Amino acid sequence: MRTLNSEDVRHFSKGANFLACHIDPAAVFAYEEMIVQALPTGDVRLINIDELDPNDLVVALGFVTQGLAIADMPPVGDEFVRCIQAIEQRLGRKVSALYSLAAGNINGILPLMTGLQTGLPIVDSDPMGRVLPLISQTTLTLGGVRISPIAVTGVTGEHSTLDVEDPQRAETLVRSLVIELGGWAATAMYPCTGQQLAEHGIHGTMTRMIKIGEILGAEEPVESKYVQLMRLLNATRVARARVKHMESFSRDKALGLPTQTTSLTLVAEQTGQIIRLEIGNEILLVLVDGAVAAAVPDIITLLSADLGQVVNLDDVRVGQLIDIFLTPAAPIWYTEAGLNLAGPPAFGLQLQHPRCHA
Amino acid sequence: MRIGLRVEDGACQGVMMAGQTKVAEVSTRDAASLSDAAEQTLNALSTTMGANVGEIIVDVGRVLSSRPLSNVAVIRISPRPPADVFHTSKLPRIVEGIATRIMHVRGGHDIRAHELAKLDLATFERNVASLVQGHRNVAITALGANSTDEHEARIADAILAHDSDVRISISHDFFANAFRDRDFTTTLNSALMETGEYLAVCLEQLGHRYFPGAKVSFVKNDGGRASISHLAVRPVHALHPEPASQLVGLALLSGQADGEIIVGSEHSVRAGTTRDGLPTSTSLLRNVYEASLATNAAAIEKYTAYHPVQPLTPTTVVDLRLDRDGPLPFGLEPSFSTQDDAALIGCATAPWTAWIDRLENVASKEDLQRVQRIAEEDAKSIVVQSGGSPVLTRVMEANSYALPYGNPGIVRVRVQAADNSEPGITALPADCQQRVKA
Repeated sequence: MRTLNSEDVRHFSKGANFLACHIDPAAVFAYEEMIVQALPTGDVRLINIDELDPNDLVVALGFVTQGLAIADMPPVGDEFVRCIQAIEQRLGRKVSALYSLAAGNINGILPLMTGLQTGLPIVDSDPMGRVLPLISQTTLTLGGVRISPIAVTGVTGEHSTLDVEDPQRAETLVRSLVIELGGWAATAMYPCTGQQLAEHGIHGTMTRMIKIGEILGAEEPVESKYVQLMRLLNATRVARARVKHMESFSRDKALGLPTQTTSLTLVAEQTGQIIRLEIGNEILLVLVDGAVAAAVPDIITLLSADLGQVVNLDDVRVGQLIDIFLTPAAPIWYTEAGLNLAGPPAFGLQLQHPRCHA
Repeated sequence: MRIGLRVEDGACQGVMMAGQTKVAEVSTRDAASLSDAAEQTLNALSTTMGANVGEIIVDVGRVLSSRPLSNVAVIRISPRPPADVFHTSKLPRIVEGIATRIMHVRGGHDIRAHELAKLDLATFERNVASLVQGHRNVAITALGANSTDEHEARIADAILAHDSDVRISISHDFFANAFRDRDFTTTLNSALMETGEYLAVCLEQLGHRYFPGAKVSFVKNDGGRASISHLAVRPVHALHPEPASQLVGLALLSGQADGEIIVGSEHSVRAGTTRDGLPTSTSLLRNVYEASLATNAAAIEKYTAYHPVQPLTPTTVVDLRLDRDGPLPFGLEPSFSTQDDAALIGCATAPWTAWIDRLENVASKEDLQRVQRIAEEDAKSIVVQSGGSPVLTRVMEANSYALPYGNPGIVRVRVQAADNSEPGITALPADCQQRVKA
């Protein structure tokens, strides 16, 4: 077990941003501040999966959003506690520990706050190993672990508990609820035993965020940080490239409505290769001279070449020199079942993942 | 002709421009007060072809930045109050101490402008007297205020019904996706309103005393200008105008209205871009991890070794250093050097500008085109109503965005319009130029 201090929390949020640079990090940093302020009132305890009793009840916490950023509608603070209570009531058992729904961005960091509020430890594991957009896209789904009961609490304090078998159906129901609840909802889902999480979760992912943050926050030359990141994450630098063009339109919606930036065209500084990033909420594809160099579920991170800091998609500018990093996802995501659930076809891209050629 | 005026407490700099030519420059120091300094400067300038002055544009950024902020009562409207102190929206240090009363009111909307919770107006009306007691400035921030001002306006009406002298700032007037950014901007704006009100009245009176026919306006953070009366209502847009004005001035001095301007000074090298002599803008002034200020301001970045070289974009490198013995960093070769107060020249030549930045609900491509067209017409109308040319006012920027994981059909429409008339009336020949000492 490890008790996190304020430095750990600050590193944690940097790591959470690194692993999900496609999402505005404002809420992550807001949570970081909140947790650091609240630390004197309690402990954030991070435990390894093997510290759990196999029969302990653990539950995943995460925000589900549809339409309004959490930063625009800050939670009042009791939402996740209510969700945990609802799960306990439904199952007639006490929750022993919490885990993050996703190892990145807001859902990576928020359980630390709930851990402080409830005194429950946080498991150093998660069911995505990164951030994926759908609540059904988890390794627990791959392992056949039930997603429900799902406890949902909205902006207004209104709440609901869903019993649903099929994770895809759960996705539909939760999203529908979230719209009417105000734009986001706090959720607790995938209640399972310590043994189920041990068998089907991805482990060490919370510690990994802290380590990433330590590297990014160190007073060291950029190249030295990169070497350490590559060692830690088995990552590679796809290219150092300059942004030449940004497109912002919707290709998915029949209406042809605009959306966030949907593709970036860059030119590699050394080789002159054309790099294209295709985005659909996620960074889905990296093409180098037309060939697929990386594809979801690979984790793509953009770093500023001069400072080695994470560049979020909202902040990309034409002319910017960017290092494109590829971090492999957990191995289970590259199995046939994993790619079916969270690979290119799951995002409407009919292509073979580059890692399947090997 | 136009006058650009930069006012400070006890000091004032003024420049008179005829078209693109500087015809007079005045600097007043060690005056007894701001109004004395401005009066002495205007008096000195009035001796130089004063009858022809049609515009006075004032930079009040330094006054707003230096004067103490007023205390503010902050009202936050949301379905539920924070459950603990840690979940309370935290204001940046600059305004933390001046928010002397913070109150929660039940209400708020979602992004579709659907009501999330009924506004608890009855309870608010019962408490309004104690809320505003001792406060002349109130900031109201509601959940979902980007999509509607309904709850903010109803609370504002209730306050004004109780006391019509209270100054009220609502967050619907400032577009930002994050609640804390709107909360901060509204609070700061409210805290500046007293000074803004004083400056608006004082500067308009002084301007008309020495130049009776002149319109008085103030320069904004985007490098454009707005009528001086708006300073009393949204002073936050006048808080940081100098970086933008400097780009406007340097674009004018270089004769390069479109392109990149790299500015080397004693302290730093920075770069920005202008279109038709007006800086490209950002809608948020970021402050590291603290809340950002929701104001349209010139997009200026620090120049680094990785700065892109864009062969097709005209680039002007300006050396503003007093000591030019050494070269500029990064091997930059200056296009020209100047000791002119470029920001003041930019202030004097600032065009009327207006922004529309709002959420729209669209169901089709035609809908999207319609709301964009309406936004463009609205922005142009504001410029023309301010005094811009109906013929030469044009759209500088028009964009629409949606958020990742956003609600289908909700788009943010953002438009800037500007008056493209030539500044001043006509350029004077060089032999007409003179300098005036106050």
